[in-house]
This record gives sequence, C-alpha cells and structure tokens, in this order.
Amino acid sequence: MKLLSSTNRYYLLLAALVFAVGSVVFYYSMGWALRVEVDEQLVNHRTATLNLIRRTGQLPTNSLGNELAVTPGPLPTQLRDTTFFDPVEQEQVPYRQLSFAVSSSQGAQWVTLRKSLLETEDMLGVVLAVMLTVLSLLLLSLGVLNRWLAHRIWHPFQLTLEALRHYNLQHQQPLALAAATPIDEFTELNQALTQMSTRLAADYQSLKDFTENAAHEIQTPLAIMQVKLEQLLQTEELPLATSQLIGDLYGATMRLSRLHQALALLTKIENRQFPGAVPLALDKVVENKLHLLQDFVDNKELRVERVVAPGQPPLHMHPALAESMVGNLLQNAIKHNHRGGTLSWILTPDYLAISNTGPALVGEPSRFFERFRKLNATSDSPGLGLSIVQQICRYYGYTVSYSFAAADSLHTLRVQF
Amino acid sequence: MKLLIVEDEPVLRNALLEYLRHDGYVCEVADSYLQAHEKIKLYQYDCVLIDLTLPDGNGLDLVRTLKADGSRAGVLIISARAALDDKVLGLELGADDYLAKPFHLVELNARLKAIIRRRQFQGQHHLLFRDLSVFPEQALVLVRDEPLTLTRKEYDLLLFLLANPNRVLTKESIAEHLWGDDADTADSFDFIYTHLKNLRKKLQEKGVDNYIRTIYGTGYKLSTE
Repeated sequence: MKLLSSTNRYYLLLAALVFAVGSVVFYYSMGWALRVEVDEQLVNHRTATLNLIRRTGQLPTNSLGNELAVTPGPLPTQLRDTTFFDPVEQEQVPYRQLSFAVSSSQGAQWVTLRKSLLETEDMLGVVLAVMLTVLSLLLLSLGVLNRWLAHRIWHPFQLTLEALRHYNLQHQQPLALAAATPIDEFTELNQALTQMSTRLAADYQSLKDFTENAAHEIQTPLAIMQVKLEQLLQTEELPLATSQLIGDLYGATMRLSRLHQALALLTKIENRQFPGAVPLALDKVVENKLHLLQDFVDNKELRVERVVAPGQPPLHMHPALAESMVGNLLQNAIKHNHRGGTLSWILTPDYLAISNTGPALVGEPSRFFERFRKLNATSDSPGLGLSIVQQICRYYGYTVSYSFAAADSLHTLRVQF
Repeated sequence: MKLLIVEDEPVLRNALLEYLRHDGYVCEVADSYLQAHEKIKLYQYDCVLIDLTLPDGNGLDLVRTLKADGSRAGVLIISARAALDDKVLGLELGADDYLAKPFHLVELNARLKAIIRRRQFQGQHHLLFRDLSVFPEQALVLVRDEPLTLTRKEYDLLLFLLANPNRVLTKESIAEHLWGDDADTADSFDFIYTHLKNLRKKLQEKGVDNYIRTIYGTGYKLSTE
C-alpha cells in the first residue's frame, strides 16, 4: 500500500469517527438548545397570557389551530412533550406544551399553550446538512491537497528511489543523488545513502583487489607444485606406492589449478576486463568447438542435429568469451547426455539453443547456474561451467535459461541475445 | 641447442632449467626484464621462453625486441591462463607458441621441440626413435620403413610421447595435450586408455613391442629400451 493511501485511510477513519461523534453531539446539543428556547417562549407566553387575562378578564380564544387550548379539567402544570396529527403533513407532529390554571367567569380553567417542534427539527436538519456538506468538502479538498503535496514533496524521494534502483555496485559509478532537496529529511536520506554507497564501493573494491591478488598469488605456488610433482614423477625406479601417491597428488593439483582458472576467468568477466568485442559468426564458433569435442561426441555415440536459421545474429563478443560460452554449453550437453542420445543446436538471429537428452534433474532450475553446483557431487569438475556461461551472458546483456521437456526428456539451455 | 629462460620465480626457473638441461639443452636464465633484454641483445639463442609477467617489465616487449632485431630465435610465451588477450597479442607479435601457466613440463618440452623443429629444419627434419621414423610435415610414421596408419589422436599421442622419451607422461598432461581446455569434458582418461591400447596394438602388429610402458597410478612412458 502506498504511504499516501495508508495515511489517507487513517485520516478518513479518524474523520469519519470525529464526524459521527461530532454530529451526534451537535444534533443533541442543538436539539437541547432549541427546546430550551421553545420552553422559554412558552413560559414568556404564559406570563403574557396571565397578564392579558388579568387586564381584560377574558380568556384567550383558541385562534390558531393547536397553539392554544382552554380546557376545564385539571392538568399537570409542567412543560410536557406531546404530538398532534398534522393534516397537511399527514403525520404526527411533536409539540411542546405548558398548562396552567386561570380563574375566570366560568370558574377554574386550564389554559394550555403549545408550540410545534417541527420547525426546530427542520432547522436542525438544515444545519446538520450544511455542516456535513462543509465538512465533506473540507475533507475532499484536504485529500486533493494532500495528493498534490505528496506528489510535490515526495518528488526528491522518487528520484532517490529511481537512482537506487539503477545502482549497480559492479558499474563502479557513484550513486548520483541530489545533495540538497527542499525537504530536510530527504536531504539527510540522500546524504546517508551517498555515504553508504561510497563505503560499499570502497569495500567492494578492496574485496575485489583481495580476490584478484589472491588469485594471482595462488597461481605461482600452483605452478611450482605442478612442476615439482612432475619432476618427482620422473625419478627413476619410484616404488609403485609412492608413484601412485604422487599421481593422486598431481591429479588433485590439476583440479585445483582448473578451479583456479575458472574462478579467475569469472572474476575477470565480473571486472569487465574483456573490452575487445569483435563481430562474430557464432555458427562457426559452435562448429569449431564441436569439431574439437568430436572425440567425446563419438565416444557417447551422440547424434548431432544442427539447425541454423538464415540470418546471423549481429553479435559483438570477445572471441575467447564466445568460445568459452559455447564450449561450456557443449561440454555440458555432452557430459549430461546418455549413450546414444541426441545433441542438437539451433541458431537463429534471436537465440542459440543447445539441447541434450538425459534423465530429468531434481532441484530448482534457477540454481543450476550457481557456482559449484554439481549434478554429481563426486564429479571432478568444479561445477563452474554454467556460472561462466551466465556471467558471459550478463556481460553482453543476453539471458540464459534452462528448460526441460519431459516428453522427449530434452534439456535445453537457451541464450537469448 | 641454446635456450634462454626468462622467468622471475626462482623455483619455477630452476625446475625448468633442470628439466631442460637434462634433455640436453644448453640453458641460460634471466630473472628480470632488464637482464633478459641485455642477453637477447648480446647473444643468439635457438629459442627463448618468456614469462610475460616480470617484475620490471612486460615480456611482450621482449618479443617485440626480438622481432625488431630480426632474431632467428623461436619464441615460446608463458603466461597466466586467464590472460586470454596475451595469447592473441603474443602470437600476433610473432611468438611461435603460447603456453598457459600452470603447465606440464612434458607439454612445454613438446612445444619447444616442435618450435625448434620448424625453425631449424624447415620441415625437412624427421624424428627417429628405435625402429620408428616420423615425418611430422607429412604426418607420416614408418616402422622399419613400413608405413603405420594411425588416427589423428593416435598420431598426436605418439608425437607427444616421442617428444618426451623416457619420461612419465601423466594422464592429465596427455589429456590436456590432446584436448586442451576441453580435457575435463568427460571420461578423458578412458579415452587415453583406449587410444593408447589401439596405438600399442598397431605397433605390435608391425612387430615393435614394449615401446609404451604403463606407470600404474600415474601415466605412461615411452621406453628407450
């Protein structure tokens, strides 16, 4: 929910509550005031009537409808509520009445003065209606004002948000935020964010430097280990057990060295250290790589299917990265294929898809691209192939996706240019 | 055969020196750009091994100097594997071959021999080993003057073995020699076994036996006896 609608919701809720309570209080206090007024009028009227009787000796005549009645019977002398039927309005109309005894020629008589409460009720209605209209108009205009203000006041915040959304640590550009905004809080926010991004960039840089240095420093000891083990292997008349031990060590060193190379390559791609992009015919790259991998294709008795749509994708890539991407995809398709399976590749101006047959995989497909993700945990491969593919795709703004067709158990990795 | 090894890492430099001397090369070493530069200006070498990352300069400048001087020396570049651009640049500058670090000594040896062979004899050279003669330019193998038919990979394997007689070739180094970066695709060690079995069988059919010995747990060796 938006901040504005969220606060507006509370505003409305509170306003409705205040309105309701206020209206009730207003209605009753208004009613009470009017009634007091009517009562006062009735009392004044009584004084006037008594004076009149005293002066003239005449009882007032019942001139206008229900306003005045003279009756013989004894009546209670307080102010009372009553109703009469109004033939015009066709309904019972509330009245306030005051009875008092007077002595006249006909003996003791009771005069009842009445006043209709209908007018006051109407007035109450009008007042209430005007109140409500004014209040709702006020609310509405406040809402509109709020919205407009929000748009205006929150503008710097929206800009900040946009800048954050497009911020990428790897681009190594500082977070571009306005240093001063009309709102102090947003200025503070921008300052804090700028400081944070600077700190992040510094941390990232030092981490990257560390990784790079570590990668570089690992290289030499690895080369030494490999060379020394090889020298050791050349020693004449090595006992079988020793030679096997050295062989195992040598194999492990090789694995470590392959892992190191793959990680170094990933780091280099992440650091965008491959500026030399050239126009490239990807079908040739795939053909060449397949030719190099022919032994492995033959060994698994794979059938290679090739579909190249007319029209080359207009690709600009570093040749080594293109080769690495295609190589990893093909190796993947061979490695996870079964004997006598199919390896097919499709190249259109929009995408490259490489498919292989193979048993269905367990696990979340999006995680196949994670580093050190291996189908077979005991495999010698470091499990970086697809990470490298993904990283290369990211580098050039392509997307790589995995899909599985259960019908013909076909795994497809598709690079969308 | 005179070599210059330009490598700043002492352990690696000594290992190369020892290995190549054992193979009968006359070797000199340089541990810095300046020293290497001085040596290539003063002396003639048959081949120069250049590590590109030197503390006081870039090995590629040494290649430029050699080429500018019109040197006849072969050039083998050694560099970090992730530095893909160095390879292209190095070869463009006129280096004969490129080897990524870490490398196998046997691979280095094979590359070195191939460079020297190409440079010195312009393809007129052939390799002799016991009853085998190999003419690399024609990809022809003779066993006691009878041609031996080999597949491409068997031939590559034989040549690799011939470049390193009496040395143990690990399965890893053979796989990398035959398939390069694709060596870890799948079951490459099984392939080596298959290719070697076939090669042995073909040699056996021509009446030459026991040339290739298996060193259990590690690899194979071309035996001189």
